Parts: sequence; structure tokens; C-alpha cells
Amino acid sequence: MTDKPLKANERPPAGAEEAAGPAARDAAGPGQACPAPSPQERGVWRKIMDRFADHCRARSLFVLHYCTGCGAIELPPTITSRFDMERVGITPMVTPRQADILLITGYLSIKTLKRVILSYEQMPAPKYVLGFGSCTINGGMYWNSYATVKRLDQYIPTDLFIAGCMPRPEAVQQVLLQLIEDIDSGRANAWRDYYRNYDFYLGNQQALFGPKWNTPTDVIGEAEHYGLAGEGTYGPHTKLLAESGGTPMELARAERPARAITGRRKP
Amino acid sequence: MTIPAPLDEVLGELPLVAARLTAPRRVRVDARPENLPALLELLKGRLGFFHLSAISCVDWLEEGQFELVYHVWSDKLKLLLSAHVRIPREPGEYVSIYDLHEPAGFFERDIHEMFGVVFDGALSLDRFILTSWDGPPPMRKDFDARKYAEETFSTVNYHPDWLKDIEAAGGGLEE
Repeated sequence: MTDKPLKANERPPAGAEEAAGPAARDAAGPGQACPAPSPQERGVWRKIMDRFADHCRARSLFVLHYCTGCGAIELPPTITSRFDMERVGITPMVTPRQADILLITGYLSIKTLKRVILSYEQMPAPKYVLGFGSCTINGGMYWNSYATVKRLDQYIPTDLFIAGCMPRPEAVQQVLLQLIEDIDSGRANAWRDYYRNYDFYLGNQQALFGPKWNTPTDVIGEAEHYGLAGEGTYGPHTKLLAESGGTPMELARAERPARAITGRRKP
Repeated sequence: MTIPAPLDEVLGELPLVAARLTAPRRVRVDARPENLPALLELLKGRLGFFHLSAISCVDWLEEGQFELVYHVWSDKLKLLLSAHVRIPREPGEYVSIYDLHEPAGFFERDIHEMFGVVFDGALSLDRFILTSWDGPPPMRKDFDARKYAEETFSTVNYHPDWLKDIEAAGGGLEE
């Protein structure tokens, strides 16, 4: 919070007003801000393979077993026998490296957001983010809190939101079915936006965590690998990465070499 | 319903402001800042008030004071005693009781972070929960959380059509 290189609302929230229904479409707008590859980019064979891969992918999804805030309480009934999302191929997964869906279940404090971003960047693409509850849309009941992030989609690209406080398991079920439909039809492309507009997301992250913020994942390298690096990938904020001097863990260690104990000790 | 005799006797040894029973097993003591460490030591030594369950802080902005409340529990008397002290808001300094009750290290660090009270002799006054924070202590009454949130975070303007219909009929979300 020392440096504010970018006012967080510089980019207009395109289509964000729709974030109302139980399974509202994302502000980042799959198919608008981050379109799927155009037919010119892909040959016919690749297009067929893409569609086939999307079709298969939509039928087996792992939700990262990472819960923030209070919304996690709605997930046991969603996953277990009452609603049983395993019927449609969705099941919890313990590590981000094998997960497809990051379900943000509730409010995010600034500290939690750091961990969410670290987890998100470890997930292999294609990856999907679902914002659960009013807190991820506009802060919810924490709208005037100093420590709680208001809009999730300013920091990581979000596919779908579920409005409500709390959303019932039916709503979670509905949004997961919507996600399956979106993946199957090739519309769930929010993850591409993280690579295409990395500078925007990184700028917002730096506005909260300070200019030294860096993560162990080489996002720009991944963007180039996926062929998604564009104008929005590089910018003033990504330049700071080179100067930040290390990952958050390395920086934390450098800041506090030893645990300083001030004052008198126990006699 | 009166304060148990052994406790009354110990409390009588110090010039306290007031002591009264607020519930069958709860005693509220208003102490002077200079007497509080002595009071806690007496209670611990004679009546078994070993368990410091919390230290809380209240910011009295108009009166220019911080109120610190030390909650101690006695296994011997089966009684929770809350010792209140008021310290001046500026400079907001007080003495640590870490050498008397070890858990105080945790509470004092928390109060230092949230209210900016400096405890002399505390275990540690490093940043604790708000790791990236460098603003004013956020739990002080003069910290404008709403203004800070508006400056730091962006929000979505949400005004759908169905709400406009309700507003036209005289309802709506506006205050």
C-alpha cells in the first residue's frame, strides 16, 4: 500500500452490472475482453481438436480445496450426497497443480488475496475462477472495510459470479453447470485475460501489496509459451518485477532476518 | 450478592477507584494506571488469578483516553475479574505485563497494531496481522475506514433495470 502505481478502477467494468443473477456473467466478459482464438489464428484441424478438448475437459473438473471466508460451509452439501456434484464430474482436489477451478468462497482480506494469487498462478491453464457470494462482487457486507478486497476481478480474471449472501448449494450447482456449458462451447476464456492483460492485474496487485510484489511463477514466460503475450502483457508494472529482487518469500526473509524480540525477557 | 471476602480483602489493599460485582461470577474493577500491575500481581499470587484470557482496548475519542481492560480468571474463586484502566490517548504509552502473564505478549502486540498503544517492555511490537499495512492504526476512532476503502478499492456501480422500476414506485436501495 506504499505506492499506488494504478488507480484500481482505471479499466471500465465492462458488463459488470449484469453481476446480479445467481449465475451472472463475468465483468471481464468471456468472448469480449479475452476472445477465443480467431479462425484466422487456428487451422481447421486445430479448431476441431480444440472443440473436442473443450468437450472432454468440461466433463471432468477438479475444484481446488481452498476456501476463504465463510462460504465454505455451503460446499459440503454441494459436494456430498445431498446435491452430489460428482454426478457431473466435479470433485475437490487438494493441490492447485492438479486443479481446474478456483472457487473463491467469500470475502478476501488483503493477506488472503496474496495466497489466492499464489495458488491461482500455480494452476495449469486452462483454469477457471468462480466468485462466490456478494463479497467477491462488491465487498458485500465488508463494503467499507479497510482490510477486505472489494472486487475479485480486479486482481485475477473471474469467469462467473454467484450473487447472494450466502448463495445456497442450488446456486453453486447452477453456476457449476453454467461453467460446464461455457467450457463445452469454448466461452470460458477468462484465464487468457490474465496473460493478455497481465500488466493491468499486476498493477492492481502492486497497488495493494507494494511495488516489490512478485510471485514465484513466471507469468510472462507462460504467456509467451501459450502464445498469448500481447500489448497488455508488458507495461510499467511488469518492469517493476525485475527490480523487485525476489519472490515474496525471499523478500520476507530479507526483511526480517531474525525474529526481533524487543524489551525485557522473562526473568 | 457481594464480592467474595478474600477478593474484597485483596482489593482493599490498593487505592482503587471502584470495584463491583456485575454478575454472580464477574467482578469489574476500575484501577488507576499506576496500580494495575500491582493489582494483577496480588491477584495472581494470593487468589490464583493465573489465566489472562484477554486484554481489550477501547478508544474514547472525546475524552482523549484509551481504556485497557485486563480479563483474568481465578481457578480458586471460579471468578472472572475485569480490571479497567484509562490512559491518556496521547502519547498512548503504558507498561507491559508480559513478565507477569505470558499471553500478554500476544494481546499487547495486537493492541499496538490496531490502536497504536506502546507497551514498555512488551515481548514484541512488530507488525502482526496487517503485514502490508503502513497507514494509521485502523481501530482508532479517528481513522476513517470508509474513506480509506473508497480511495484504495474500486467498486462496481450496480443499477439494474428492475431496480429502476422499484425506485419509480418509491422504494429502492438508497439511504
